Amino acid sequence: MAKIIVVTSGKGGVGKTTSAAAIATGLALRGNKTVVIDFDVGLRNLDLIMGCERRVVYDLVNVIQGEAGLNQALIRDKRVDNLHILPASQTRDKDALTSEGVEKILETLSKDFDYILCDSPAGIERGAQLAMYYADEAIVVTNPEVSSVRDSDRILGLLASKTRRAERGEDPIKEHLLITRYNAARVDDGDMLNLDDIREILAIDLLGLIPESEAVLRASNQGVPVTHDDNSDAGQAYADTVSRLLGEEVPLRFHETQKKSLLSRMFGGGRR
Amino acid sequence: MSLKVDRASMAFTFKGGMLPMTVMELASADPERIREQLSGKLSQSPAFFQHTPVVLSVEKLDEPHLALERICAVCRAHKLLPVAVRGGSDPVKQSAWALGLGWFPPNDGARARTLEGVSTVEPSPAVPEASPEPASTASGGRIYRGTVRSGQQVTAPDGDLVVIGAVNAGAEVLAAGSVHVYGALRGRALAGIHGDTMAGIFCRELRAELLSVAGNYKRLEDIDPQLLGTSVQVKLCDAQLGITSLS
Repeated sequence: MAKIIVVTSGKGGVGKTTSAAAIATGLALRGNKTVVIDFDVGLRNLDLIMGCERRVVYDLVNVIQGEAGLNQALIRDKRVDNLHILPASQTRDKDALTSEGVEKILETLSKDFDYILCDSPAGIERGAQLAMYYADEAIVVTNPEVSSVRDSDRILGLLASKTRRAERGEDPIKEHLLITRYNAARVDDGDMLNLDDIREILAIDLLGLIPESEAVLRASNQGVPVTHDDNSDAGQAYADTVSRLLGEEVPLRFHETQKKSLLSRMFGGGRR
Repeated sequence: MSLKVDRASMAFTFKGGMLPMTVMELASADPERIREQLSGKLSQSPAFFQHTPVVLSVEKLDEPHLALERICAVCRAHKLLPVAVRGGSDPVKQSAWALGLGWFPPNDGARARTLEGVSTVEPSPAVPEASPEPASTASGGRIYRGTVRSGQQVTAPDGDLVVIGAVNAGAEVLAAGSVHVYGALRGRALAGIHGDTMAGIFCRELRAELLSVAGNYKRLEDIDPQLLGTSVQVKLCDAQLGITSLS
């Protein structure tokens, strides 16, 4: 049985798709058979981030409506063998998703995969609720900024009430906090919320902290999940995040400003 | 003697039946207090008050004599139809019969479930989608353990509300009595929602968007910045909300 993990946030643009792609890649690199599903029907971003946009023939909605088989729609990642992508449809909207259809797909995938990552659309409407409904665990992506924290708080409320586990009274969804775009220098200046404030408000376990990094934008534009860039701070932070998701104890990095050494200041060695 | 009766000639038949019935458990014998609370409820959920039959339960009252007639009149004025009385002393039983009401023996078995907010009956357009159910206490108050999150609403319609955790921004906690928050209060807190001016709000860390006691409110803007982040109590004095430090 696969573990179903939803990557969600409420607010848009905080890094859900980037994180879903990076974590799915990390899980697959560690030998887990992983599939990542794009629930953002109508927008379709995951295939771009994963660099497989030219290989999309069938999508999630085709499978739900019986126009294609699941195996026809699944795209095998070029870089990692264990990784598959189920893209979203760009020509349909979220009303094309049905609860029964999603359940059936997840049930079928559960037999073959170790991890199913559901990349949720922004908002708290139907698309987001369907993405989280069947989840066992949730990764709540939050930026160090008040509106993002507020929306994450709202999503945590929905996770506790509007999911299958909640409705059946089963063990609650395991909630993980993933803070992205963290800029330690701006936190020190008071421009951004600090780590402790966010953790205090949301009151859930911290899964990872991803520093604001040029590597993320570069990775997105190249269609290579940032996990592959293991020289970059963001790539390493996502690798740490994956380790923690797999139950390992990894110390937190990148949450404090690093004093630049004299040499790097002289030669302008910036952060990669 | 024959029990054989022609069915067609029967004027009636007796049938045993279990009907759902609302029990109004009186905590006070004062008709004025009952009237006050009913008026509040009536404005909240008018759909519930449509000549709804109720059983007046006086088990919790320790008073041999009851102004039963006045209590019934108050109920009828609020479109509740008392049909019987449950429990009480012999004089109470006599006066129930005199008023044409039935009488039931006290329910000493399992405590009946409290029909909170009568949410099964009222059409509830304003009920938020995510309303966690806190545990009820015997006194009608409620205890909620955990963080009350943005968009959630936790209500104690009959007593005090105790939150063991934080109330986050965008969340709302309401109580007929006082509101106690053992954590940071960042959302909205409304105490005395049925008009209890003696109710108060108590919290470990004041960051509230809105504080209200019996309809008198203060917004975050109106709160002395010095008090923010401290543990405080909020009380009504001379129709003004007073916030004082607890530390």
